[in-house]
Amino acid sequence: MAGFPPPGATILGDAAAGKKIDEVGKKKVDYFNLPCPIPFEELQREAISIVPNLHMLSLKPELFEGMRFDFTKGLNPKFSLSHSVFMGPMELPSQGAETLKIPTAHYEFGANFIDPKLMLIGRVLTDGRLTARVKCDLTDDLSLKANAQLSNEPNMSHGMVNFDYKGKDYRTQLQLGDGSLFGASYIQSITPHLSMGGEVFWAGQHLKSGVGYAARYENDKMVATGQVASTGMVAMSYVQKVSEKVSLATDFMYNYLSRDVTASVGYDYILRQARLRGKLDSNGCASAFLEERLNMGLNFVLSAEIDHKKSDYKFGFGLTVG
Amino acid sequence: MASRVALKVGGKGKNSGKGGRGGEGKSRTECLKEWTDWSLHKAKVIAHYGFIPLIIVIGMNSDPKPQLYQLLSPV
Repeated sequence: MAGFPPPGATILGDAAAGKKIDEVGKKKVDYFNLPCPIPFEELQREAISIVPNLHMLSLKPELFEGMRFDFTKGLNPKFSLSHSVFMGPMELPSQGAETLKIPTAHYEFGANFIDPKLMLIGRVLTDGRLTARVKCDLTDDLSLKANAQLSNEPNMSHGMVNFDYKGKDYRTQLQLGDGSLFGASYIQSITPHLSMGGEVFWAGQHLKSGVGYAARYENDKMVATGQVASTGMVAMSYVQKVSEKVSLATDFMYNYLSRDVTASVGYDYILRQARLRGKLDSNGCASAFLEERLNMGLNFVLSAEIDHKKSDYKFGFGLTVG
Repeated sequence: MASRVALKVGGKGKNSGKGGRGGEGKSRTECLKEWTDWSLHKAKVIAHYGFIPLIIVIGMNSDPKPQLYQLLSPV
């Protein structure tokens, strides 16, 4: 999908992948933003494992290569600091068939303030790059989300602001980004199980605009989504909750302009002490991600990705404390 | 005339001040663009250096109020 502006996929991806219906009689749609920072999500995921609303995460865990160590220190139920060390090869985008990797090591300091009404998350790397996320509930129905990546190099900073309005059985979102990026999306729940929506985006810098539609059907045991965009993307996904501990998922992505097809199958085992996610791709890529709870607050992480087509093998391990 | 042309050719800063005599509308939009560029740049620098300290200040003032040594000690 190279060459197409990311916002199209991002907005619609959030819209389609994140709806959850609360009760049968009351039509209410919940909007779940996929690129959510990990600590907040892990809290929710471990505490409530009832509804398979995080199905996309079964197929897209955060695979990494190298060593990772994360330490989160909570000073308050709301305020915490995090220190993270990473050592390993970083991949550079390369035009040829071979992958260029450069060994890097960095330390990242982060501060999180999480309140029901206000959430502030900031991470800063040793090279001066700052990742900031803000989520603020202006009123009961209107919320503001902003996220930015600032760096010392000129022209390498990006920012995006979203305004979300939640109605009785619909949600709308307005998105403004730098580089004159504009997007809007609307999702409406049609029946207690089915919701449909659409989005429109315009990227001034790349002079691209697009329209997309999405639909999502779910019940207690399964979630099926489909989306089409005028950028040429057609994506469908299906997740089935086979038992309390096991979920299986499958995903199909097709670009009718560039004739690019990818299909993948994945599984998600949520066990008492561990969570194992694996995926097999039609691009010849097999990956697995294991998170094991060694002790209270101590997690061990193993990540593996084997790409047979490109002969690229990535293995990573890490420890997460707190 | 010649002096005005010379001033317009050189530098954005000089243009906004001196070019006003000839084309009032043009210099106003250029002025506005310059001001928005400057303020965006300053906002970016302030956000870059001040965001994490802002989170720390808000966090240290929320209750239950944590102690200062807790910021630095790994316990």
